[in-house]
Amino acid sequence: MERRVAIVGYAQSHHQQDMPMTREDMVFEVAREALRSAAILREDVDTVITASTDFLDGRTISNLYLSMAVGAYLKDESKVEEDGAFAAYYALMRILSGVHHIALVEGHTQGSVVNPHLVSTYTVDPLFERQYGFLNDISAAAFQARMYMERYGVSEEEIALVSVKNLTNAARNPWAHRKMPDLTVEEVLSSKLYYDPIRELTMSPVSDGACALVLASEEKAGEITDTPVWIEGVGSCSDGYLRDRDICRLDSLRKAALTAYEMAGIRDPSAELDVLEVSEKFAHEELLIYEALGLCPEGKGKTLIAEGVTERQGETPVNPSGGALGADPVCATGLVRLIEAAKQIRGDADAHQVPGVNRALAHGQFGLCAQKNIVFILGSDKK
Amino acid sequence: MRNVAVIGCGQTKHSGKRRDVNLAEMVGDAVWNALEDAGVAPEEVDAFTVGNMQGFGGVAQPEQWLAEWIGASGKPVLRITTGGSTGASVVHGAYYAVASGLYDIAVATGWEKHSDSKEPGATTGLTHVGLGNTVNQVNCGASLRHLLSMMIVGAAAGVACYQAMYYMHRSGCRIEHLDMVAAKDRRNAAKNKYAHLQWPGCTPEDIARTELVAYPFRFGHICPASDGASALVLASEDVARKRCPKPVWIRGLAAYSDEENQIMSEGGGGIGILDASQQVGATMSAIKAYRMAGIKDPRKEIDLAELYQPFPSQELIFAERIGLFEEGKAWMALERGETDIDGRMPCDVSGGVNATNAIGSSALQRILECALQIRGKAEEHQVPKEVHHAVATAWGGATNYFAVTVLSDSL
Repeated sequence: MERRVAIVGYAQSHHQQDMPMTREDMVFEVAREALRSAAILREDVDTVITASTDFLDGRTISNLYLSMAVGAYLKDESKVEEDGAFAAYYALMRILSGVHHIALVEGHTQGSVVNPHLVSTYTVDPLFERQYGFLNDISAAAFQARMYMERYGVSEEEIALVSVKNLTNAARNPWAHRKMPDLTVEEVLSSKLYYDPIRELTMSPVSDGACALVLASEEKAGEITDTPVWIEGVGSCSDGYLRDRDICRLDSLRKAALTAYEMAGIRDPSAELDVLEVSEKFAHEELLIYEALGLCPEGKGKTLIAEGVTERQGETPVNPSGGALGADPVCATGLVRLIEAAKQIRGDADAHQVPGVNRALAHGQFGLCAQKNIVFILGSDKK
Repeated sequence: MRNVAVIGCGQTKHSGKRRDVNLAEMVGDAVWNALEDAGVAPEEVDAFTVGNMQGFGGVAQPEQWLAEWIGASGKPVLRITTGGSTGASVVHGAYYAVASGLYDIAVATGWEKHSDSKEPGATTGLTHVGLGNTVNQVNCGASLRHLLSMMIVGAAAGVACYQAMYYMHRSGCRIEHLDMVAAKDRRNAAKNKYAHLQWPGCTPEDIARTELVAYPFRFGHICPASDGASALVLASEDVARKRCPKPVWIRGLAAYSDEENQIMSEGGGGIGILDASQQVGATMSAIKAYRMAGIKDPRKEIDLAELYQPFPSQELIFAERIGLFEEGKAWMALERGETDIDGRMPCDVSGGVNATNAIGSSALQRILECALQIRGKAEEHQVPKEVHHAVATAWGGATNYFAVTVLSDSL
């Protein structure tokens, strides 16, 4: 990247099941808190990029009544209709272009208003699959999980370990939704079965939540903060449709990660990354994500979780915040990962802080079986 | 700052019902036409930006299932949507993708296939959109006053009525002038082979004979609901100079959002508070875009405008808001024929949104038409004079989203 861009402020809501707050209030609060955390005013912001979808918000032009709430009045504004991590990516491009200098990025979903799983049925091919009515995000993930388990000999117990790790981590994160400090594999495997092998505790919860992030160009970042978190690399990629790819492999994530690693000069991700925050909408997906990010060879994701490598105190901690299993306000989920990674680098990650983080990875995804993926590498000036 | 050029334009025939293609095929056609025009192979494209009105085809995130059809699988795809201004927002996204230095060649595409769902009403205003919004507002705990103003205003057409009335009251423009704009646009559309409502030799009297729908709009004033797609190939300066004999440079762009003119405006009082034709965001966007492009006097330097005008009043309003005519005087220029295809300041020589409205495609087509005119490739609706600088606008949301894009033949 020709210019350097830093994260200089952030805020997130207390993600929960049924937030007693209007969407406008929720968005206003995170936007205000993000500006406050960067100690800047609305007037300092050049451009605002939000993330929400019409289906998930249950209204046409979902950002219509949120422009005022997010502080975009008379600002150069746009909206991405997917995860907030993609909004951060767009804001990053706007700053890199030199046209803008400070960007506010916001993402939100209130899953309690319109059920995201219901919405997912509208994303399948309308000409064929939708007519059968059996495909949605959970059933597609069930196919993916079953294929993956068959192909690489992975057991339900090994997948349940991911839930145990993330949900016990979430218990230490004040912002997370589903906190289960004493969760066991047995409890995960006896939770309600949706589509075999997907259970209540191996899929992400339906959450209400929002988050916001402030990005700044190098010169502005220097004025704003002494602890900027630099975006050292970014990669984004989309796969073909469900039917057109091998859903056991997250090829687009692999490609996105390679691009980001190259930009950040990372050769050995396991050794060079101090912490990873990934968007695993289902427990088995985290194993696929390990493989696509190059933390282990294909099919060996289970070894990392079984050996505790990705535990909060492990060698390569993944999702100390609890990840998407801990809270999944859909269009905020990936952007929260970016915030959590930045917090780890700044050392203000509450009780789930991992010691000595200089470099972190944040991952966002969108679509059935993680069709689209985005990877950010964040770093500090400390090293 | 990296310079960015349009090196390829592609669109499909727009019409009321494209039964010959499905959504994926239609978008694929537009993208393929743009790549062919640019002489770029699908594998050379670095990134895609895409968008449409999400509910309108009845498919959520349609780019996911049509990724293969536009050659986007294995590439970054960014979905950007801002209501009516989506097409322009998508081009702005592609501009920033290239200007950022992350990518060299980006494809922007926008589409709508209204006939796939029962949404034509949504563009013209209407109860079911109002109702849907109302249910949502109830969920969010809106007051009765909010709900009532929501129901009264409806969607785009409702707002455009108020907006037109403000403008007419302020400027002295009369309904006859709206007839003149609509007739001009239908005549222009007849020369554009991709346009939907084509009416060769249409006169203001023809339009005046159509039924009055909601004052001041007659049936003949209102845009259709179209099926269609369009796409642009954008490239960095290096690539553009190597690959394209006549690149069209994107010299300035901005998209300032304004106050919503519906329920959430100042004091929650809705449309009564503001003059809905004021559109400060459009003026601010224009000022910034002109400044980036080095244009000091748009009235003299701009050769042609493609204005987003689903309703004819908007051609006049936005021409003034972006400084092409004096305040309140665009309708006089119209009377003098200045906005005709051979006039001093041709406006919407393609027929504009008034003749063709596939929403996600509409604002993109404005930029595309400017590029065609600058390249001299607009065929039958090419203006007789040389076009050096052209400006495109977009309008979306409840009068609160704009995008202004300035294109030039040189840097």
